[in-house]
Amino acid sequence: MTDATVEASNLSKSFGDKQVLQDMSFGVSPGDVIGVLGKNGAGKTTLLELMLGFTPPSAGAVRVFGHDSYSLPGSIKSRVGFVPQQDELLDQLTVADQLRVIASFYPRWDSSLITRLCGEWGVDTNARIKSMSVGERQKLSILLAFGHKPELLILDEPVASLDPIARRQFLEQLLTISADGERSIVFSSHIVSDIERLANRIWILKDGKLDWQGDLDALKESIVRLHIRGLKPELAPFKILGLLNLRRDGAFATAVVRDWTPEAQEALEKSASVQIEVETLGLEEIFVELHR
Amino acid sequence: MKAVARLVWSYFTGTPVLRAFTIGGLTLMAIDFYILATQPQAGEKFWLAMLGIIVFFVGSALMPVMFGRLARSHAAGVLPGGRVKLLISVFVTILLVAIPAGVLAPAGFVSGNISVPEFMKDPRARDYVLQLSAITFTSAVLFAGWMYLAMWFLTSQRNMAGLFKGLLVITLVIFAPAREIRDLTVTLLWNLQQIAVIWIVFGAGFLLWPRFKAARARRSRERFPGFDRALAGNTAGREFDVMLGTANPWMLVAALVLPLLLATRFVREFPAVWIYFLTICSVVTGAFTGQAAERSRALWLRGDWSRPSLFASVERSVWRHNGVVLGVLLLVTVGIGKYARFSPTLLMAGLPLLVLGTLLSTYLGLMITRGLRWLEIVSGVGVMLSLMALAVLVARERVDLAAVIALEIVLVVLAIVARFVARRRWTQIDWMMCRPDRAMTARGA
Repeated sequence: MTDATVEASNLSKSFGDKQVLQDMSFGVSPGDVIGVLGKNGAGKTTLLELMLGFTPPSAGAVRVFGHDSYSLPGSIKSRVGFVPQQDELLDQLTVADQLRVIASFYPRWDSSLITRLCGEWGVDTNARIKSMSVGERQKLSILLAFGHKPELLILDEPVASLDPIARRQFLEQLLTISADGERSIVFSSHIVSDIERLANRIWILKDGKLDWQGDLDALKESIVRLHIRGLKPELAPFKILGLLNLRRDGAFATAVVRDWTPEAQEALEKSASVQIEVETLGLEEIFVELHR
Repeated sequence: MKAVARLVWSYFTGTPVLRAFTIGGLTLMAIDFYILATQPQAGEKFWLAMLGIIVFFVGSALMPVMFGRLARSHAAGVLPGGRVKLLISVFVTILLVAIPAGVLAPAGFVSGNISVPEFMKDPRARDYVLQLSAITFTSAVLFAGWMYLAMWFLTSQRNMAGLFKGLLVITLVIFAPAREIRDLTVTLLWNLQQIAVIWIVFGAGFLLWPRFKAARARRSRERFPGFDRALAGNTAGREFDVMLGTANPWMLVAALVLPLLLATRFVREFPAVWIYFLTICSVVTGAFTGQAAERSRALWLRGDWSRPSLFASVERSVWRHNGVVLGVLLLVTVGIGKYARFSPTLLMAGLPLLVLGTLLSTYLGLMITRGLRWLEIVSGVGVMLSLMALAVLVARERVDLAAVIALEIVLVVLAIVARFVARRRWTQIDWMMCRPDRAMTARGA
């Protein structure tokens, strides 16, 4: 047994000839709020659904609370909440009926929490699901994942259809959930500002691999933009370790680098006799630079 | 016209499977036409053309699905002349599907004569052949139109209302022509009148639908707020079934029994037609299970079940539902048997046929864990044809009981094999691949 909420080792997944995820290893600990970033088709949904046992891995394994995700026992499933990308609501029911149906599967369903959230989020419990808008359906899907107070909450693009007010309310609720430091949240989103606001750890998926996994602050310290002055023309071309992107204009150059450290800066300043100014990037810029 | 041509082309060739059906149907029809044209007394080989026409019709099965999606999409309203072009493409498709019947039926008739050139010299014979061609063609236009409508209801409205509408259309399609044949009321003028009325009503309705929808939206959306809730019924204690869509068998019972009761207004005799239609009903009873794998996804994280034990629970839930429907269907069959004067042998051989229909379609449905692929389609069509053949055998005046029992035993074995395959597939079920659109998303990443 282990204290980790989720542990994956050498995880790979392919659909036919198409390799979607390759040789991934990662861990999720209590208190982690992990934002998963990746371009369309990067494998975010596949990764999240692998973690929940919806699909078998082609190689490697994922363990959730110490159990293989492909054969999770009921006691573990009741500790997990999931908001899928496409909702799985029953159109013919009312909101109240849908909540009752899902609540019946969990011994520890917090009806008062859900009633309160329905009120705060403006979800009409008498409404028929088939008459609800996409955003309203998304709110209900999120409520269904909250009711049993899961220790691991996995959300696949949960805010895609929410209006700004609903998004803010949802993020505040996630902050409340994560505040006790005992629960883990993994969520994917294309709204980078939400991830920046909420997540304390970031996973960036690129070409089927985890291109980056670590603390948000460490990521921001690691991937930076350098403004280099005093370049001598006779020194061209010059090399920078971890270079992602370089634009040179005479004696000036702008470079985006990864794995940047003060030592690397000192070494470069000495070897090329240049002055370097380091600019910290926002998460969105980092994401774009990594995918250039 | 380019857009219409592109749409029609897509209807027949949109997927590799349908492309194969279209080419296969055309090939069969071409072979049969060659036989009819070159060999004397070849009318008996008309079955090949019939098979070709059916296969060709199946090849265009994408039409009602695409039509339904495009008609509901914004594209139909935004693109210039979108709805008109869509409507024309449907009409052209129906004409294309009906043309072979209009050509091959008279060819089969003419080919039955000893000397075709001599026969065709007679002007009355020529007139008769032309009239036969026109009547067959227009009847095929009507029949194909109704069948597409039934397919559209069954595939696009995946609920009881869709099933009910689809079965109602199939009932009309089976019984109305039967009545016309019996009473010899079919004429070219009558067919043309029907086509004109149907297409004027359908065309006007389709083109004016956006305006009607906008007007309706202005009125209250909640005229009957409690209606759906009442239909959903009390869910307490049956949450698993609610999630799986098997909580309320009585809606399906109503969807099956009401068309049957309506059909009794059209026809009393024709036990063969009755047993044929009842067999279709029994297959529909189980066909709903095709959605079980997809719907079970929402259950996975909500209970203490492994994949094999989830299959066992799903199987039990499905039989709780289908058992009720099948029971009612058997009772209705006994009632209809009395009303339509079934022979005791027909009733005794017919009842197991209905049980087999439900049994096979249930397990074929449970086999669908990765959308419809070749194996599922071939098994489905094969089983359907076997059941239909059995229905024909059972309905004969002199029933060959040994042959019927042998075929029924073969079908029981098939059901056992289907259950084995279904169980095996469920033990490895991948919910990312359960639905075709989900599978595409999954392959996309």
